[in-house]
Amino acid sequence: MNSSIIEILTPRYELAWYPWAVQYFFLIAISYSALLLSLPGTIGRGQFAQRWQPMARLALLITLTCTLVAPVALLADLHQPMRFWHFYANATSTSWMSIGSILLPLYLFSVLGYVWLAWRPALLQARQGHGFAAGVARLLSAGDWQVRRSVLTIVALTATVFAAGIMLYTGAEIAIIKARPLWHTNWLPVMFVTTGMVAAAGLVLVLNRFMSPAREGRSEINRQGLKVILVAMLVSAFVAAAWLLSGLSGHSESVAAALESVQANSDWRLSAIWALLAGVILFAFAAIALKARTQSAAISRWVWLVGILALHVGWAFRWMVLMEVQTVAKNTAGYYQLVVELGSYGLMGIIGTFGLWLAVLLLVDLFIPWQGQAHQRPHQSLAAEAQHG
Amino acid sequence: MDFARRAILGQIAKLTAGAALVPLASLSFSPSAHASPINSQPARREGDASKRYGMIIDLRQCIGCQACTVSCHIENEAPMGSFRTIVSQYEVSNKSTGDMATMVLPRLCNHCENPPCVPVCPVQATFQRKDGIVVVDNEACVGCAYCVQACPYDARFINKETQTADKCTFCAHRLEANLLPACVESCVGGARIIGDMRDPNSQISKMIAQHRSELMVLKPEQGTLPQVYYLGMDERFLSRPQAEPALWDVRDIDGKEIGYEFLDH
Repeated sequence: MNSSIIEILTPRYELAWYPWAVQYFFLIAISYSALLLSLPGTIGRGQFAQRWQPMARLALLITLTCTLVAPVALLADLHQPMRFWHFYANATSTSWMSIGSILLPLYLFSVLGYVWLAWRPALLQARQGHGFAAGVARLLSAGDWQVRRSVLTIVALTATVFAAGIMLYTGAEIAIIKARPLWHTNWLPVMFVTTGMVAAAGLVLVLNRFMSPAREGRSEINRQGLKVILVAMLVSAFVAAAWLLSGLSGHSESVAAALESVQANSDWRLSAIWALLAGVILFAFAAIALKARTQSAAISRWVWLVGILALHVGWAFRWMVLMEVQTVAKNTAGYYQLVVELGSYGLMGIIGTFGLWLAVLLLVDLFIPWQGQAHQRPHQSLAAEAQHG
Repeated sequence: MDFARRAILGQIAKLTAGAALVPLASLSFSPSAHASPINSQPARREGDASKRYGMIIDLRQCIGCQACTVSCHIENEAPMGSFRTIVSQYEVSNKSTGDMATMVLPRLCNHCENPPCVPVCPVQATFQRKDGIVVVDNEACVGCAYCVQACPYDARFINKETQTADKCTFCAHRLEANLLPACVESCVGGARIIGDMRDPNSQISKMIAQHRSELMVLKPEQGTLPQVYYLGMDERFLSRPQAEPALWDVRDIDGKEIGYEFLDH
């Protein structure tokens, strides 16, 4: 039709989900991905398990801290956070969010149980010492009884089952929203998991640089982390390609909406280019770092930057999906405004979540011998030396 | 291609309007009370099951005066800047002749037969009454805004004062007192017709019978079966129109709104 239309009057629609949602999706994805990364070294047996043990220590630390902080961000995204108990008083079988509200505490407690059992041998050893840390260890280990390894395995597998539930519900919750074609695709839940794995492995690389004890396994952790990033990025690229193809072949409105957004809006075009660039750069750098590990010293000092980029990819994907997609108007012309305010609904919320996570991380690092038994020796010998000296 | 798409959409709209009306004749929409599968409609509750409210908006009568917008705002005390109903206004110009026309499009909750906002609610705060009206119990609502995301019509918003989901209720409180909804009452052209579609003698039933083939609903492809029917509708406006956005607010450095300006004009 040979006509042009100008929209003259429309109200301003505000975005209903705040950046808190991004923080929740980011942290919970790292949490379940790190849980998976911790499994081989924690419950596995044999040489393979042994090689993954150093990685498992970091992964356990990551899964615990992220699991503790993620629900806080989720709660904050409610406009009536004090009414959270309504979720349990009025559980609703038709709502993915309600199913999630039941899964989340089950997951949280199973992760707590799993990490606690995994760290308990080190706690038992720490009980022997003196001072505050030993007191905390006595408190946290709850007695000096021994527990069979099979119990750890069972709890770990239970946590894994709930983790699968979290993967399913966080993805399905978004993907069923038909009103937003960009969300309404079965590829989205898969992409949440793969980019979550990228981010978790990235966080492993970062913490490996700054928190790992300077001893065995450090370059091995880097190598494993880089491999995980490479594989997860490959799968993500495959998923993105499949999503695009399903749209180009006319099977998905999601793609049509995406292409329309990219065509009509320079911000979206920039974001798409950036996403592609970041993905390619991350993949290339990870591959280079992995290849060059033989002359390791310099590489292993800088490989944490690849980790930061991986975290960026995981976070930015969620920002695009959860925040930017909300700016695509449903009925009106143009785009809604995404204003990230300074306050707790905006920037402070984002920084605050990371700050809280950092605080939890440091508290755990201060009081819990998460690095395992080997970590205790230098400390103890130092203390012993100090006493004798 | 655009034209073809619009034409198809228009056909779907008419078909869907027809399909949406069919089950009303048999009044058979009553999902079982328990064990509804994920994302299916939970059982309806409250309200008079012998009625099914719906609305016809006769666009031939609408002059875009926004009396409905204002009266709704006053009746339902929505916070400034949020609206349960609004009349979208468009300027349509024919490129070859230069002729101009105004399109006005009142928007409100469609009280869908298959409302996507209801099953997603994690606490059953939003529900559909037996008379078809979709309401929110704002004492139960946790403000998760999942329903706001699920509504394809932007008919829902988070009320900044109550911090809960808010939407058009067809003025259920007025209907119960035998009054018309504020928007219907104040409409100068009589463009909004509300009524019980199960009563064959109601004005809406008669108009549906008379105009059945011309009625259209918004975004028919969403499968929501809206129960707000438009008469005299232009297919180009069924979904998000291919339009230039014109009015945008202007903010100062602190993000405070200081006025409006036309974009690209």
